Amino acid sequence: MYYVAEVINEECSKYNCKQCTLFCPEPNTLMYTDDEHHAYVIQERCKGCALCVYVCSTLLKRNAIHMVMPEVHAEK
Amino acid sequence: MSYKIYEINEEFLDVMPQEIKDLQFRATWGNPKRGVMDLPYSKELIEEHSLCAGCPESMALRYILASLPNPEDTIIVNSTGCTSLVFPHIALHTVHSLFGNQNAVASGIKRVLEWRFPDKVKDVVVLAGDGATVDIGLDCTLQSFFRQEKITTICFDNEVYANTGGQESGLTVKGHVFKMAPKGKQWDKVPFWQIAIDSGCHYVARLTVSSPKKVETVIKKAIYVAREVGPTYVHLYTPCILEIGLNSDDGLDEMRQRDKERFAFFEYMTPQAQEVIERKKEEGLL
Repeated sequence: MYYVAEVINEECSKYNCKQCTLFCPEPNTLMYTDDEHHAYVIQERCKGCALCVYVCSTLLKRNAIHMVMPEVHAEK
Repeated sequence: MSYKIYEINEEFLDVMPQEIKDLQFRATWGNPKRGVMDLPYSKELIEEHSLCAGCPESMALRYILASLPNPEDTIIVNSTGCTSLVFPHIALHTVHSLFGNQNAVASGIKRVLEWRFPDKVKDVVVLAGDGATVDIGLDCTLQSFFRQEKITTICFDNEVYANTGGQESGLTVKGHVFKMAPKGKQWDKVPFWQIAIDSGCHYVARLTVSSPKKVETVIKKAIYVAREVGPTYVHLYTPCILEIGLNSDDGLDEMRQRDKERFAFFEYMTPQAQEVIERKKEEGLL
């Protein structure tokens, strides 16, 4: 299994940029919830390219996304 | 060719996969103002695809499909290449032509649609790689421009034949070395955007896909002009990160670099095209 993206909700909700959702190459993978004001990852669809981390951390200096081992596989 | 084909019979709603139901209830149909800013919320017209992790071409496909002003009445014609791996995952009518004849097929489809549905707007969009557009399909591409066919041609330029192992194409940059072009290309990159202008295209743009909003605007302009005036051409840089030896998170950085040099934003339009674009801006559609 490979690492997938995970949004740090508290960090992400400080902003309203949604840039990661636009630059993710996978459709309907990084979405945004207006109710909770943060992006979220549908991990089953994530291919682990880490482009969202590049956008959030390198370009925007916001550090609101990181790569993690998905919970369902981490236990194995 | 109609939104009706996405409407699920109520009797089957409980057994249909969620993705199919989402297409009916959460996709953006019937709204010419749809665009890339719908992406964070709505169901996209492309479903899980088989392109590589981090592939810039898949970013381009997301933006293009989100920007089509009339998706329920749009036919996409594609050709062989990485893009052809994606079309089975797209919820629109697509035609996979033989390698290189996509513009000829699109011309025929457009003519028949105009004859069959004279009262409806039907857009025909060609999506093909640099090999299909400029090398193998150069004849059909240029002839469709010469004939002033009312179709939009979008070229995904990754500057190499990527999914066959890395052969040089007409759009490869001089000196670039690939796995199957070990001596490096000996000739200049073909400036196809200029050839498109000289061949009669009414709207031509060259850009990378590093700016989603810019891609949306260009695609909409190209489609609106093609509807009313004549052929339009959009040249998009979508680098193959595998063939040029980059990591999966490097694609965007690569495009941002090229934004400043050989893929600096370039736009051309004829006076007729400008008139259409100005009118669409006044209508709030651009």
